[in-house]
Amino acid sequence: MVYSMIEPVGEKTIERIGNLGRFSRFFARAAQASLVSCCSPRSYPGIWTQMHLIGVRSVPVVMITGAFVGMVLAIQAYDQLAGMGLEERLGVLINIAVVKELGPVLAAVMLAGRVGGALTAELGTMNVTEQISAVQSMGTDPIKHLVAPRVLACLVLTPFLIIYADLLGILGGYFVSVIQLKINSRAYWDFSAQSVELWDLNMGIVKGFFFGGAIAVISCYKGFTCREGAQGVGQACTEAFVGSFISILALNFIFAVVMKAIYSTFWPIQSLL
Amino acid sequence: MAKYVDKDDGIIVVRNLVKMFDRRVVLEGISLALEKGKTTAIIGPSGCGKTVLMKHMIALERPTSGEVYFKGRRIDELNERQLAAIRTQYGFCFQKGALFDSLTVYENIIFPIVQHRKITDWKAIDDLVKNKLAMVGMDGYQEHLPASLSGGQQKRVALARAIALNPEVILYDEPTTGLDPIRSDIINELILKLQRQLQITSIVVTHDMRSAYKIGDRIIMLHDGKVIADGDADHIRNHPHSIVQQFVHGEVNEADLAALRLGGTKFETQYLPEDFE
Repeated sequence: MVYSMIEPVGEKTIERIGNLGRFSRFFARAAQASLVSCCSPRSYPGIWTQMHLIGVRSVPVVMITGAFVGMVLAIQAYDQLAGMGLEERLGVLINIAVVKELGPVLAAVMLAGRVGGALTAELGTMNVTEQISAVQSMGTDPIKHLVAPRVLACLVLTPFLIIYADLLGILGGYFVSVIQLKINSRAYWDFSAQSVELWDLNMGIVKGFFFGGAIAVISCYKGFTCREGAQGVGQACTEAFVGSFISILALNFIFAVVMKAIYSTFWPIQSLL
Repeated sequence: MAKYVDKDDGIIVVRNLVKMFDRRVVLEGISLALEKGKTTAIIGPSGCGKTVLMKHMIALERPTSGEVYFKGRRIDELNERQLAAIRTQYGFCFQKGALFDSLTVYENIIFPIVQHRKITDWKAIDDLVKNKLAMVGMDGYQEHLPASLSGGQQKRVALARAIALNPEVILYDEPTTGLDPIRSDIINELILKLQRQLQITSIVVTHDMRSAYKIGDRIIMLHDGKVIADGDADHIRNHPHSIVQQFVHGEVNEADLAALRLGGTKFETQYLPEDFE
């Protein structure tokens, strides 16, 4: 009885450790191949193509995400601040929230769905139709040929996509605050400019580098280890999205703790309102 | 039972090869030496480990134990970078072609070339692609995407891609499966033509006996992860082993027929002799 309870737990644990080991090896090989590809002009056309597919085509969805985040924040926060007579400081709250947290995280989540899903589905289908084995059988490293360009495109372009999300978030917040809620435009920008520092903006963008890397490596790994059949590809896509999403949230938390410690070492905490 | 083979006995040598997936034994101590310039057909029922054996020959699978040699050099222990140079001497024709569906026929064929050579003369590459496609009767399809080709055409393009680097060995994974008899025969003729023209060593995994008899200088039958027959077409045709006879004649045995008649879910190995009395 006790054994029958312990056995599945042990089996699952061993399986999880095995998966973690396989993922770590994949991660190391992807990192190594990406570094090599950076220095090899022959791989630039492949990276360029992926940049177009991953980056350029994601601009509209990321901008829409950012705009709605900014607009919703303005609507939700206005009543509370107006109640205290602080409505002119609405821009502080919106812009800090957008550039530090919501812009980067929601843009990354949107990318996990759009880009991560597409990467896993594409590589998963290549895997089940033996195209990855075909690459390997022709003496080409599939990690270098297929994973490295995708990882590099995500690493380089996620921060830029976050800039787009931030920009539209700020404009969306401004639009609702100034045009709809009739807050004084000059006061809105002045208070925002006093409170939002370059540090906040930069941290949001730097996060994008890590989020992009996590999305690309997890999605490619799930595609490479996808099981056969339509169900296998579907399951791999789901797992890739869930894995990327959780990684984004976890990385964001780690980043917040580390960056706060660094910031408070150099500058004292200031009140925003 | 497994005979001793030396690493220099053939262009590809497999020694005491054992492969397990989880706890399931797929190959059970296989030893083979494949001769240069000959066509070897590996036959056997579905799931007997034919494709797994062939993938070991190009190190796409790594053995649980045992050794694989190519031209006397052990390849199963090499890393991916070391294997790259070895693999350019192979061509691998996958069961469903495995053409890159986002690339045109032309781009598919030049793929192995651009990966391993610095191209300066594109005119020569155009001619090479034309030549390779002409060999498989597909010249003129350069700009087509794989999705617009029939199954047989895709296999022919896959064959053209496999010979793009002028390999010494071509591995064919079920080249005639899913094709009608006429297109199957076209593929058989192509395999024979390539072997005659280019003196390529061919290894063909198939369960199409017509194809195996036609193209195989040597036929090896696998069953339950072991070699149960090995010889030329006549040897296999007249082999005394009942499983070989059943397979080559494509006949179901009495025990399985009885199982079907009984309508149960048990099969031969699960029945007791009294079930059939």
